[in-house]
Amino acid sequence: MSRAHELRTLLRGAVRPPDNDSAFLLDVHRRAVPRERMARYDDDYPADLVIVGAGAGGGTLAQRLARRGWKVVVLESGPFWDPDEDWVSDEAGSHRLYWTEERIIGGSDPVELGKNNCGHGVGGSMVHYAGYCPRFHPSDFEVRTRDGVGEDWPISYEDLKPHYERLELELPVAGDYWPWGDPHRYPHTAHPIAGGADVARGGARKLGIEMRVGPVGITNGAFGNRPHCIYRGFCLQGCKVNAKASPLVTHIPDAIEHGAEIRSGCMAMDVEIDESSGRVTGVHYMTDGRERFQRADAVAVAGYSIETPRLLLNSISRRFPHGLANDNDQVGRYVMVQGAPQVAGRFPDEMRMYKAPPPEISSEQFYETEERRGFARGFSIQTVGPLPIEHAQHVLGHGHWGHALREYMRDYNHWYTLGILSELLPLADNRVTVVPAVTDRNGIPVARIDYSQCENDRKNIAYAKQTLHNIFEAAGAQDILATDRYAHLVGGCRMGSDPDRSVVDSDHRAWQVPNLFITDGSVMPTQGSANPALTIMALASRLAERLDRGRAGASAARQPRHRQRPPRPAPTRAGAG
Amino acid sequence: MSDPPTQRNGITPQMRGRYPDYNVLDEADRWDEVTRRLVLDRVQNVPPIRFFTAPEALTLGLFCELVVAQHSDPKVPVLNMIDAKLFRGELDGFRYVDMPDDRETWRRVALGLDASARGSGAVDFVSAPFGVQERIVDAFAQGDLRGEVWDELPPARAWKVVTRAILSAFYSHPWAWNEIGFGGPAYPRGYARIGAGQRESWEPRAADSERPEAAT
Repeated sequence: MSRAHELRTLLRGAVRPPDNDSAFLLDVHRRAVPRERMARYDDDYPADLVIVGAGAGGGTLAQRLARRGWKVVVLESGPFWDPDEDWVSDEAGSHRLYWTEERIIGGSDPVELGKNNCGHGVGGSMVHYAGYCPRFHPSDFEVRTRDGVGEDWPISYEDLKPHYERLELELPVAGDYWPWGDPHRYPHTAHPIAGGADVARGGARKLGIEMRVGPVGITNGAFGNRPHCIYRGFCLQGCKVNAKASPLVTHIPDAIEHGAEIRSGCMAMDVEIDESSGRVTGVHYMTDGRERFQRADAVAVAGYSIETPRLLLNSISRRFPHGLANDNDQVGRYVMVQGAPQVAGRFPDEMRMYKAPPPEISSEQFYETEERRGFARGFSIQTVGPLPIEHAQHVLGHGHWGHALREYMRDYNHWYTLGILSELLPLADNRVTVVPAVTDRNGIPVARIDYSQCENDRKNIAYAKQTLHNIFEAAGAQDILATDRYAHLVGGCRMGSDPDRSVVDSDHRAWQVPNLFITDGSVMPTQGSANPALTIMALASRLAERLDRGRAGASAARQPRHRQRPPRPAPTRAGAG
Repeated sequence: MSDPPTQRNGITPQMRGRYPDYNVLDEADRWDEVTRRLVLDRVQNVPPIRFFTAPEALTLGLFCELVVAQHSDPKVPVLNMIDAKLFRGELDGFRYVDMPDDRETWRRVALGLDASARGSGAVDFVSAPFGVQERIVDAFAQGDLRGEVWDELPPARAWKVVTRAILSAFYSHPWAWNEIGFGGPAYPRGYARIGAGQRESWEPRAADSERPEAAT
C-alpha cells in the first residue's frame, strides 16, 4: 500500500474543508443555526444577487458567493427550521417538512408529490432526503452520444469533479471505496450496517451483484460541532441530531457568517424584467401577507423542478407573454423522476428496519446500458428502511387490507426493504404548466405536472424489480412484496448548447435574459440513476466559481465591488425568528 | 389462523398483539420533549368530529374500521384523527387532475359507499350486512366500483386517497406500535444494537419467534 494512501487513511475524517466553516459555526448545545449576527438588507438595497430557494442549489450558491464578497439575499418560502423545536422523531408528525400547497398531477403515469419528493424551508428537500450522496457517472453527461437516448449535457463530468470532491468533504460523505463510474474514495469511513442490509448484501453476492456501504452524507464521528449519527432511523423526518447533511447545516451557517441574508417565509411571486434593457431587476415576493420587492443586479432561481418553472411561467411581461425566458416553449419541459419500486423480503430473524439510517448500502453495477437487458441506460439498488406507515402502505399497495393487513404488519420486524432508482428518460411532454383557474392563497396560479412513461422506462423498471426479487430469494426470504413508486425530481429548465432546445446555457444563464440564472435540479438534461442532491450542489458550486470569475458573462452579474466582508449589522430582535 | 396473544402491558388495538409485554409509552420519558408532547397528545386528546357531518362520520367511521379490521374495543380513533387533519386543511401537496380536493373526495366516498350498498339491496352502507360491507370494500380496493358517484370519482384513485390517510392515522398511534413491536421515537437515545436479531434492553421481545400463519 502506498505511503499516500496510508496517510489518507490515517487522516480520514480529520480533514477540515478549506472554504466552509459551517460545521464549526454551529452551536454545541443547540441544533439551531445561530442567526443573531445575520445581515439584514433593505428591499431597496440592490443586492448583487437574489436567490429564490434555500435548498441544495440556492444554499450552496449563497455560501460560495457570500464567501467571495457578494451581497446575497435568499428568499425562502418555508420556515427557518430549528431541529430542536420544529422536528419530531415521528413519522406522521413530520408533515410540515413537505411542500403541501396544492398541485395538480396528470399524464398516463402521474407522479405523487408532497412528502415523497418536495421540500419546504431552509435546507430544502435535503432536510428529508434519505442521505444518499452518489456522484453521477461520466456516462451521464453524454447519453445521447453513447446510448442514442436523452440528451448530452453541455458540460462534462470533469467540469463537476473538483466540486464533487470539495462537497464530499463539506457534507461530509461516508462510504466504502467506490468502484463505479469514476472510481473514488470518501472522506469518512463507511458506517456500520444493520442486519437487514447485511442479509441483502449476502443475497446479492450470491448472484454476483456487488453492494457497498454508502455513500451517505452522514457524519461518521463528530465533525466540527455536528455530532456522530445515533442510528435512530428517522432520516426522512429531518435529522434532529445534525448528523445528516443538508444545506441548513452544511452551507447556510457559513453563508450567514459571510454576510448573506436568508429571508425565510418569503414566497416569490414573479421576477420583474425591465422591458427596455431586457434584464431582470428583482423579485416580487409575499411575506406576512404583504407584497414586497427585492431589487438585485442578478436573480438566481433555485426553487426546484416544479416551483422554478412555475415562477418563470407566472412572470408575465410584454417582452415575455408566455413566461420569463420561455420564447422557445422549453420552460417546464423534460421533467424527470426516477422509477423507484420497492421490494420487501421476509426473514426468519428479526430485522427491525426502523433502526439505523434508511440509506445503508447500494450498488451501481447496473448503472449503464447493457444490451442483453433490452433497454437503454440502467438503475441503481439502495436500501430504504420504511417506518410503519410507509411499510403499511407498501403492504396495502399489494392488495392486503383488513385482517390481512394487520397480520402482515404484526410481522413488521421480520421484513427488510430494498429500493430501485431507475433512470427514466427525458420526454418533452413530461412537463410543468400553470393552471390559471386554480390559484394558491396569494392568488398565484398553481403548477400542474404531467408524467407518462415510455417503453424503455417500463422495461427498465420491470427488470430492476425482478433483480431485487432475485436478491431477496438468494438471501433466503420466505415471502416477498413489491410495490411501484417514484423518487426524486429533476429537469424542467434544462441546460443545453442549443438555445432552441434548452432554457439555460452551460453557465446556467437563461438564453434570453442575461442576468437570470437557474441553479437547481431543474437544469439537468438527464438524471442517471443517482440521487440528485450532490450533483445539484456541485452544479451550484461550479456556477459560483464561474460567476465570480466573470466567465459567466461580464455583463451578467456585476463584478463584486467589495472584497471585504460587509459590515455586520447590530443584532435585531426580529433576528431570532 | 390462530389469534395473536392478548396484550398484558399497555394497550393495543383490540388488545391483541405480538409483543404482549411491550408498552412503548413506558419509554416516553426517554423521548425529546417536542416529540413526547406530540405523541402523548395523540393518545390522550381524541379530537372531536368537526369536518364531517354526523351521517358522513357514521359511514366513514365504519369504513375505516373495516380497512384496518378494528371490530372491537379498544379502537384507534382513526376517523377523528383524519377529521382533524381535514378540518385544519392539512393536505398532502397534490391531487390527480381527474379528482376533486381530498376533502371533497372523502365526502363523495361516503356517498359512493351508500350508493354501492343500495345497489346490493341494502338501505345504506352502515345497515348493510357485514358480508355486503366487506364485498364493497374489497371491490373498492380493486378499483371495481361502478355507477352513480363512482362514474365521476375514479375508485382506484379515491381508494389511494382515503387509505393513505387511514394508514397514516392508524400506524401513527402508539397502540399500533405496541401491536407490531415498533421502537417508536428514538431521540436522543438512538440505537447501538442494530444487527439481525439484536435488540436494545427496552426493545420488545415477540411472544413467538416464528411468524403467525398468514391471514389469507
